Amino acid sequence: MTKTRFLAGLTILLTVAALAALPALDSPFVQSLALTCLMFAGLAVSWSMFSGPTRYLSLATSAFFGLGAYCTAWGLTHLPWPVVVAAGGGAALLFAFVIGLVVLRLRGAYFAVITYGLGELVKHTITHFEKTYSGTVGRVMTETPSSEVVYWSVLIITLLAVATYLGFGRSRYGQALRGIGMDEERAATLGVNPMRAKLLGFCLSAWFAGALGAAMAVRWTYIDPNTVFNPFIVFQTVLMSMVGGPQSLGGPLLGALVFSLLSEFLRLSLPYLYMILLGVLLIVSVLFLPDGLVGFDWRKLLRRKSASRP
Amino acid sequence: MTVYLFIDLVVAGLVTGGIYAVVALGLNLQYGLMRIMNIAHGEFLMLGAYLTYTLVRATGWSPLWFIPPMMIALFLLGLALHFLIFRRLAATSLDQEAMEARSLIVGFGLMFIAQNLAQLIWGGGMSGEPYLDEPIHFGEVTVAANRVLVLVVVAAVSSAMVLVLKRTLLGKAVRGMLQAPLGAMLVGIDTRRLHPACFGLGLALAGLAGGLLSMVYELTPAMGEPYTISALIVITLGGLGNIPGAIAGAILLGLAETFGMYYTSPSMKILISYGVLVLVLLLRPKGLFTK
Repeated sequence: MTKTRFLAGLTILLTVAALAALPALDSPFVQSLALTCLMFAGLAVSWSMFSGPTRYLSLATSAFFGLGAYCTAWGLTHLPWPVVVAAGGGAALLFAFVIGLVVLRLRGAYFAVITYGLGELVKHTITHFEKTYSGTVGRVMTETPSSEVVYWSVLIITLLAVATYLGFGRSRYGQALRGIGMDEERAATLGVNPMRAKLLGFCLSAWFAGALGAAMAVRWTYIDPNTVFNPFIVFQTVLMSMVGGPQSLGGPLLGALVFSLLSEFLRLSLPYLYMILLGVLLIVSVLFLPDGLVGFDWRKLLRRKSASRP
Repeated sequence: MTVYLFIDLVVAGLVTGGIYAVVALGLNLQYGLMRIMNIAHGEFLMLGAYLTYTLVRATGWSPLWFIPPMMIALFLLGLALHFLIFRRLAATSLDQEAMEARSLIVGFGLMFIAQNLAQLIWGGGMSGEPYLDEPIHFGEVTVAANRVLVLVVVAAVSSAMVLVLKRTLLGKAVRGMLQAPLGAMLVGIDTRRLHPACFGLGLALAGLAGGLLSMVYELTPAMGEPYTISALIVITLGGLGNIPGAIAGAILLGLAETFGMYYTSPSMKILISYGVLVLVLLLRPKGLFTK
C-alpha cells in the first residue's frame, strides 16, 4: 500500500517537474501545445469541481474566463502580474457570488440556460460599455510578460485547481455537494445548507476559470469580447469533462488532453469537420457513456466480446 | 412620434413576434411533452431557410411552393432524430431533470453538426432571395408585401394550432399529455406515437419560420441561435405548455424588441432579449399568465 502510494507520488512529482521544465526545450510549438492542454485541463477540472458532484450544468465558464481576461486588459499596466491574475479570478468569483445567490435556486435546464444567458449578457454589456466609453471594442496589450511566465502561471493555476479539487472533494462541503447531486431535498433534511455549499463550490470553480482567463489574455495581445467570451470555451470545457467523466479527477484531465490535441491538429486544417466531429462525440457520449470514458467498464465490454466468440 | 411611425413599429413588432410564436410553438411542445430542452431548435429554422433558398435559386419558382415539402422533410428528420436519439435518452434518464440536462447537451451537439454542415455546404453568410419586396400602401402606411405575407401565414398557422388543440380529439390528447404525462398514458393515449409526431411537428414549424424568413432576411449558418433564445424567452413568458400564453408572450417580446431597438439602438437587440430572459426567469419563472 505504502509502496504504491510512494510510486504514485513519485510519478506525480516527475510529471510536474517535466511540465515545469518544458520551456527549457525551447520549442515554441510544444510549449504552446502544452499551454493549451494545461488551460483546458484547468478549466475542465474547475468546472467538474462544482458541476460534477451537483449535476448542476453550469454554462458560465466563458463569462468567468472573459471577466478574468478583461481584468488583465484593464489592470496590466498598473499592477504587478501575480496581482492581476489573482484579481482576474477575484472578479469572476465576485460575479459568481452575485449571480449564484439568485441562479442557484433554479434547477435543471433553466439553470443551464440562465448561466448561458448571463454570460452572453456580460459579453454584450462589456461590448456596449467599451463602445460607449472607451471608443473601441478591442484592447491591445503592450508590455506583456514573457511566454515562459504565462506558461508557468497557467501551470500553477491548473495544479492549484487539481489540489483544490481533491481537497474540496474530501471536505465537508464536497460531501455536501455530492449529497445535493443525489437528492437535494434529502441532503437539506439531513442538515446540509444547500445554498451555502452550492455557493461555495460555484465561487471556487469561478475563481480558477477567471484566473486562467486573466493569465491567458496576454497570449493574444489583442482581445475583444467575442474572443474571450466565446461560448466555444464553455462548450469545449463541458465536452471534455462530460466525455472524460465528470465524477472523477481523471475524467476531465483525460478529456482535456485528448481534445486539446485533437483540436490542435484538426481545427486548423479541417475546422468545420472538427466541429461536426465534436457534435457527434457529444451526442454519443451522452447516450452511451453517462459516466464518461473513465467511468466506462471496458473490461465488461471485452468480456462480452470474448464470450460471444464461438 | 407620429401615428404612422407608431403603426410601422407595431407592424414590424407583430412580424417578429409572429415568427417567434411559430418557432416557440414547436419548442413548447418538445419541452412540455418530452422535457427535451432542444437548444438546436433554431438550427432547424436555419435548415428550412437554406433549403427553401437553394430550391428557389435552382428553379426560380416562388418560395411558397417549396415550403410545404420542406416542412414534410423536416418532419421526417424529426421522426428520425427522435427514433435515434431522444427515445433512448428518455428511456435511460433517471428523472426529468436528468432528461433536461442531457437533452440540452445533445442539443449543443446537434447545433455544432447543423451549423458546420451548413457552413460546409453553403459557405458563410449570403444574401437571401428577396421575394415580393414591393411595398403595399394602406392609406398613408407603407408595408413591404413579404412582411404582410409572413404576418398572414404565421397568424393562420398559430390560430390553426390553437384550434386543433382546443377542438379536436388529437388536441385533447396532446393537452392531456401536457397536463399529466402518466395520467395520459393510463387513459390510453398512445404516447409512443404522439411523442415523435409532436417532435417532428416542432421541427416542421421551425422550418416554416425559416422558409418565411428566407424571403425577408439574409441567411447565415448561425441565424437560428437568436431564435432559439427568443423561443426560450417566449415559453418562459407564456408558461410551460401554455400554447395561447406562448403566442401572447411572443407578440409581447416582438413588440418590446422593436420599440426597444427604436428608442435605444439596433446593437441593443441582443442585450434586450437576454435581459428580458434573465428578468423573467428570476421574477416569474412560472410564466406571466399563471394564476
